[in-house]
This record gives sequence, C-alpha cells and structure tokens, in this order.
Amino acid sequence: MSLDVVAYLDHASGPRLDPRVVEAITTALAWPGSPAGVHEAARAPAEALEEARSAVAALLGADDPDEIILTSGATESRNLAVKGLLHANADLGDGVVATALEHPATLAAAAAAGRIVPADVDGEGRVEAASLTRALSDDDVALVCLHHGQEEIGTRQDVPQLVAAARAARPEARIMLDCAATAGLLPVDVQTLAVDALVVGGPSLGAPPWTGALWVRPGARLHPLIEGGLQEGGKRAGAEAVPAIAGLGTAARIAQSEGAARARRMSALGARLAAGLEPVPGLARTGPADDRVPGHLHVTITGLSGDTLAATLGARGVCVAPGSTCTAVAGRPSPALEAIGTASGRMRGAVLMTLGADTRDEEINAGVDAFVEEVARVRALAPR
Amino acid sequence: MRRVVDALGTRCPVPVGLAARAARRLAPGDEIELLADDPLVAVDLPAWCHDHGHCLVELRRERGAYVGLVRVGATGGRG
Repeated sequence: MSLDVVAYLDHASGPRLDPRVVEAITTALAWPGSPAGVHEAARAPAEALEEARSAVAALLGADDPDEIILTSGATESRNLAVKGLLHANADLGDGVVATALEHPATLAAAAAAGRIVPADVDGEGRVEAASLTRALSDDDVALVCLHHGQEEIGTRQDVPQLVAAARAARPEARIMLDCAATAGLLPVDVQTLAVDALVVGGPSLGAPPWTGALWVRPGARLHPLIEGGLQEGGKRAGAEAVPAIAGLGTAARIAQSEGAARARRMSALGARLAAGLEPVPGLARTGPADDRVPGHLHVTITGLSGDTLAATLGARGVCVAPGSTCTAVAGRPSPALEAIGTASGRMRGAVLMTLGADTRDEEINAGVDAFVEEVARVRALAPR
Repeated sequence: MRRVVDALGTRCPVPVGLAARAARRLAPGDEIELLADDPLVAVDLPAWCHDHGHCLVELRRERGAYVGLVRVGATGGRG
C-alpha cells in the first residue's frame, strides 16, 4: 500500500489482503500448467482448485464441493444465477421478483433475461414480506432475488422470514440469495436457508474483488453463461484463474475460523466511526443503526457532493467511496437511496465507508478527524 | 447415494463427460441423475453406459429436458 494512505475505509471495493491470501496467490502465479493437465505439473493447480472449492463449500455448509461454481466475482455470480436459473426454468415463467435494493448486476441480468416484478422496501431498506407476497401473485414468476446484506446502505434482511413468505406464495419459484456483503462475516448455511442459489464475492471473505463463487442447489436447474468445456461442472467453461481461486480458498478457510471475531471487531469499529461522525452538521446515517453489515457505514450530508468529499478525503490519504460506487460513474441518483425515500437534497451527498479485518483504531481516528475537517472546509468554500 | 448432475445448457460431449466425472467419484451401485437438454444425450448416454458397464435405469423427458438415471457399474467410474 502507498505510504500516504492513512486510513483505508473502502474494503468493500477491494480489501487489504491478509498476508496468507497474498502468499497463496503469488505461489500459484508461479505454477505452469492448468488443472486439466494429465502430467505432474497439473497436480498443484488441480489441488488448489479443489481445496478452494472445498473451503468455500465448508464455509457455506454445502454437502458437496461440486455444488460450488468458482467465478470471477459477485457480478458474474449474479449474472450466472439470474440468467442461468431463468433459462433453465423457462417453463415456470419469466418474472423476477426483486426490489430496487438488489445489486445493479442482478437487476440488469433480470431485465435482460426476464421481466422484473418489483417489490417494496421500507425507509431503512428492509424488504417487506407482504410486498413480496403480493409480487408473487404474478403467475409467471420464476425467480425471487433477495440479498442478505445490502452492499450500498448496509441493511441486513430477515432472510428466513422472506424465504418463508416466498415459498408460501409460490413454492416452485427459484430463490437467489446475494451474500456478497456478508459471507465470511455472518453465518451463512445453505442447509437451513432453503434457497436455490447463493452469491459469494471475494471482499467479504477477505479475498480480492476479482474472485467469487456461486452455490447452486442440486436439481435447481441452471444454464451456463459460457459453454464449451467441462470446467466448473460445465457451468463455466474456460481455463480457471488458479491464482485468484487459490486466494479465495485461503480467504474462505481463514474466514471460517476467524470470521465471527472479525465481524464483532468490525461492528465495534463501525459504531465508533459512526459516533465520531455524528456531530457533523447535516449528516445522517443511512439504514438501521443495528442489524447492519459489519463494519459498514453509509452517510448522506445535505448540500455537499459525495464525489467531492471522497476526492478531498482521498487527497489526505483517507480512502472512502462515493455513496454508490456502481452508479457514481454514470452520474445517476442511486436507485437504492431513491427506494428508501432519501430526500433529494441528500442524494448527491452520499459517502460509503467499509472496514476490513485489519482496520486499525488509528485509521478510525484519522478518518473521523479528516472527515470533520473536510466537510467544514468544503462547506466554507461553497458559494452562499 | 444419488448425485444430481446438472448438464442443462451444455452440448455433446459435455453431458456424458460430466456423468463420467461423477461416476469416477462414486461407488458401484450409486446412482447418477443426469439432467440434460441436448437431444444427443438420448443417444450418447445409453452408449456410454453400455461401453462402461453402467446400468441405464431410466431415461425420461421432464419439463423439456432429459432425465437419465444411471446406476454405476461394478468397476465404478473406472470401467
């Protein structure tokens, strides 16, 4: 990391990696061959591939490592789940029940492969079970998309309640659960969740953002996005990115033993960060105070641009993200913030801060100090 | 033990290749339930079972796809 970074508070976009994860990746980079080879050089990549698959399966409570498809990240996992389940279950219909709080990749895949049937959320971003039930009265719903923790605003959903509502209303519909913000930090057990597919992204496990996985229930019926080979059970043809996968596997093993302690620590630091920012004039925390993704803080500030604030903080070595990383580039208001009824005067002033397993107390202190000072400085510069 | 092998959306020779990979990890007498929507599986699967000593218990159509039930033969998947 560059020496001038004094507080890295953007772990959701790419976490600072545990040295054990870095070692797994760099070791695998030196291996020749591919896991499909029949010679001795293929042994190490083949073993790394299957060890990673087993580690992710164990983390999710899956019976069989072959239920795991290793991907290039959560976005690919979402696309594979949505398009793959819809295409393979076309006889169920083309409707996809989803709220505006699903990840843009999920919504884009649903719109491309089917027809979105919207459901509602409350002012803190919780999916409303009654709204889910109403949406499922549409006869052609084939898929329900839910998330465990909302990546932008940090709200955690009552997944068992929502899955029960969806199953009661339409038992045959497939259910995809997006755990990209929570797997590795909060308990995720496919044996008890009663869903058909589960999305994993690298960062919540402590792996790079260019790693991910998709668990699929045997018999759920899934079409591949990429055809032409036996890799990943025929669901993702093409040579495997072995170094990335080795990193994901190591991160999954670490998360299984250290994830609960990480989550507790990240939640405590997140609460300290939130308390430190509370006195900032015009600042409001987004989503609920409790039941949040660990180490996740999203705020809005009246009359300021989140992009500007993120840039000025970045110039001081404090790394945060503008409120919605996926829509900021497009210059559009965040659909998630719109869905929870965020006032228009706050919409542009959104900032997202996400902590990691190794976030230090000093980073929280430096982040709070810089945030308070930069808000005051930018406000003073603004035309009155 | 029965293992579901989802080969939906893949084309010959992938469905039978996936069944063969599953058979190698199973014991004689275990079963594979192969889901496939490539029509060639109706030809390939019986031929593969015959050549490798597996028993094709059933091959039926269901929800627009083939469902093949294979009992792994005496040599396991190495036959």
